[in-house]
Amino acid sequence: MKRIVSLLILALVVSFSFSSCSSDDDAITDDDGGEPLGEYDNGSFILNEGNGNPATASIAFLGDDGILVNDIFRSVNPDADEIGSFLQNMFFDDTRAFIISGSANSVTVVDRYTFEYIATVTGDFEAPRYGAVANGFAYVTNTGDFSTGDDDFFTAINLQDYSTTRIDLNNWSEKVLEENGKLYIANGYYGDGNSISIFNPQSNTVEATIDLGPNNSPNSLKVEDGVLYVLTSGFDVQSKVFEIDLGSNEIADTVSVPSEIGRASNLVVEDDLVYFTSGASVYSVGVDENNISTEPVLTYESNSEYGVMYGFNVEEDGIYISDGGDFSSNSKAFKYSLDGTLLETYTVGVGPNGFYEND
Amino acid sequence: MKHSIFLFLATFMFASTLYGQDKPIDLGEVLIVADTKLEDFSNTQETTILTDSIIRKSKPSLTNLLNTNTTIYFKENGAGMVSSPSFRGTTAQQTAVVWNGININSQLNGQTDFNTINPTVFDELTVRSGGGSVLYGSGAIGGTIHLTNTLSYKKGFRNSVSLDYGSFDTYGVTYTGEVATNTFSTKIAVNRSGSENDFEYVEKEGKNLNGSFYNTSVNTTIGYKIDEDNTLTLYNYVYDGERHFSLIFPSELPTKYKDFNTRNLLEWKGNFTDFTSKLKLAYLTEEYKYFPNIEKPDFSTANVESFVAKYDAGFTISEDIRVNGVLDFTQNKGEGTNIQQETRNITAFNLLLKHNVSNRFLYEITTRKEITNTYESQFLYSAGASFRATDFYTIKVNTSKNFRIPTFNDLYWQGSGNPDLKPETSYQAELGNHFNFQNFEVGVTTYYNAIQDMIRWLPNGSAWMPVNTDRVKIYGLESQLGWSHTIGKHHFSANATYAYTVSKNDKTDKQLIYVPYHKGTATLGYALDRFSAYYQFLYVGEVFTNSDNDPKFNVDAYNLSTVGLDYSFGKNKNHTLGFTVRNLLNTAYESVASRAMPGRNYNLHINLNF
Repeated sequence: MKRIVSLLILALVVSFSFSSCSSDDDAITDDDGGEPLGEYDNGSFILNEGNGNPATASIAFLGDDGILVNDIFRSVNPDADEIGSFLQNMFFDDTRAFIISGSANSVTVVDRYTFEYIATVTGDFEAPRYGAVANGFAYVTNTGDFSTGDDDFFTAINLQDYSTTRIDLNNWSEKVLEENGKLYIANGYYGDGNSISIFNPQSNTVEATIDLGPNNSPNSLKVEDGVLYVLTSGFDVQSKVFEIDLGSNEIADTVSVPSEIGRASNLVVEDDLVYFTSGASVYSVGVDENNISTEPVLTYESNSEYGVMYGFNVEEDGIYISDGGDFSSNSKAFKYSLDGTLLETYTVGVGPNGFYEND
Repeated sequence: MKHSIFLFLATFMFASTLYGQDKPIDLGEVLIVADTKLEDFSNTQETTILTDSIIRKSKPSLTNLLNTNTTIYFKENGAGMVSSPSFRGTTAQQTAVVWNGININSQLNGQTDFNTINPTVFDELTVRSGGGSVLYGSGAIGGTIHLTNTLSYKKGFRNSVSLDYGSFDTYGVTYTGEVATNTFSTKIAVNRSGSENDFEYVEKEGKNLNGSFYNTSVNTTIGYKIDEDNTLTLYNYVYDGERHFSLIFPSELPTKYKDFNTRNLLEWKGNFTDFTSKLKLAYLTEEYKYFPNIEKPDFSTANVESFVAKYDAGFTISEDIRVNGVLDFTQNKGEGTNIQQETRNITAFNLLLKHNVSNRFLYEITTRKEITNTYESQFLYSAGASFRATDFYTIKVNTSKNFRIPTFNDLYWQGSGNPDLKPETSYQAELGNHFNFQNFEVGVTTYYNAIQDMIRWLPNGSAWMPVNTDRVKIYGLESQLGWSHTIGKHHFSANATYAYTVSKNDKTDKQLIYVPYHKGTATLGYALDRFSAYYQFLYVGEVFTNSDNDPKFNVDAYNLSTVGLDYSFGKNKNHTLGFTVRNLLNTAYESVASRAMPGRNYNLHINLNF
């Protein structure tokens, strides 16, 4: 029974593994090319969620120079406590990185450039999922009971003193991102819930909800040039890419993913191209195009029966993919060129579920 | 106080290297045992009987009892939490627990949680190594654990009360009562156990949080001799328990889990000249409730009720040949939060043959064929022979085909269950050597076991689905040693077991996780008049916890020592006062990665018989 519960939790983790969280929107950076602000500037963190054993959860850093360093939290902070397992998501403010652990029900705060431990935030969490920073607070979505959206809520973390408060959302709440001082919450997972909430962190209220239509559960979302891109998927329904104009909060365009491609996930927008994945394949379409080619950019080899395309991101210099493996052993990450040529293969930790750019 | 305890221990440690344990109590009465096949058809395999006196020393946990007395490895998810066995390198679902002849593994997840069975309400525990699916059904691959109740028709009224109390507010209360006449006998055993289980971690900060548990077990046996030839026996066993699942991080959401299981068995046995007739009717229920957040009333649940009817006709063909034909029917009906109501029917026919060719040589052949609509039914068999080559040496060979059928969760879990699953099947062979000389008994068994179609949950799109996937090859060695000796009033005994187990995934050639290569136990006992003392040693080798066998994540090997001292008092030495120290050396250890286990702990017990 316990096994089944953890499998189901894992299954949820599988289906909602984070697509991309390129952090270039909200970081005060070294302006690309200046002196690095720490050991872990200029590269991407790879979050290895681990399994039931907290020792298997780890964070790797893949530098822009192509050098991979595994388990950076423990090597920088040898005396710190374990930070939990089922590492779910990582997000940033200007100087800090926040790491969410599903099992420990906590958020660990570290310096985003040196990875030195700062604080552990606990309390007011109940199956925390994703986070974003706005107005001096970190907002973390909480699932509560997985079978209902009614009990979903935000944990607002005061970034001065790391105290927490709870803000009820009462709607399926998963991924969240910040744009121009507003938070955009993907209301839905696993086919349930089908809207985007716009949350005002000044008043701590949801000020608008954008309906995506029946069965269109948001899987991943991304803002680029004033447009919110939302990829939806659900049971027995074609996946779609919605383009929402953030000036009017209206759906400006909807592009259907051809049914031959199947259920899509992992939306990333990079350099005027919308990328997403289905199975072990990566697809792309121009932001202004309305027809998605069924020809993949690439299809990678996965021996994993468990977690194909468990982590995915596209950056300026290439496409990054991680494979979930069997969640009980060290797994692989791959770097491909933008045209789909395999450049590098890396051995990372257990259950790598996402890449987080740190520039 | 503390000082004198250590003084005692130091003295005892010295003594225990020389002396041995008190002998199991010989009940010496007429016993009625429902699980007669265990005695009749286990001659070519290894069985270990743990009697009353050993059971009473290991309260309150079956995990602890078997861990310290047999070669079975246990993976305990924190002290008192979910405990699953690996018997001869197999998975938790490949060990069957058999209550008075009836397989009681969960129909939902296929396994028995060994921390939900309190051994004090049973009279005898037997461990039978190796395949036994013909006799005991699904999951009897690595071996079977038999919980047995006995009855005697010796006139009298007997009562026993046992109380124990120890560290972390751990308590146990057991009452056993027995009333018997020449034709009627009844026995009831009631136990209530619990613990705050809030031990401080050894060698690190913090303590075990949210680990408390309590449970109640009631076992009743009622027998009535209708006439010379016919006996009716009714067995009933109820278990009701609640556990809070302990935390690794204080910030975790506390959860709890409730079990409620009932088992009922009515047996009508007729003993005639060359013919035995046995009709068994059993009704079993199991139910769990899992509360993912203790603060909230929400829970997920499932329950299964099972009905078993079995008719067994035994014929004595000649003095040396015995044949049994068994027809059995099982119906399981289950439903739950994630399982729509489903009913499964299985009908099976067994044919068993035992032939004592001479007083040195015997062989046994047993077969089973099932008919069911739920899975591809299989033909199962077991064949073995035993040959007493010399007065002191017996050799046993056995080969069998066994299975583990898909569970309700595997088949019917909403959105994930896979109705096309095949049973896991195992082909195995073993060779046992037994030596008996003077006060020594030594057994060495080597075995090989190939398991295919292992059921594992793998993702299929966004949902997980169980599929028949891996093959596992297991080989290993099991050994036992027993010795006892009496000089005047001094009684010495020594028992030891050692297992070497290689259990590899055929595809990756990696050892299965949570299967140690080495495990060993030893018990030394000494008794003098009213005193008896014992020293118990357990060694569990390191285990891999990741499938790539990355040693960075191994759970380290550990060894634990337990000492106990009992004093018998009363006119007929019928009362006992005892003291036990577990984890004597205060070793920091884990059974499952990141789950700290308790350090040194104490238990005081008193047992009154009247």
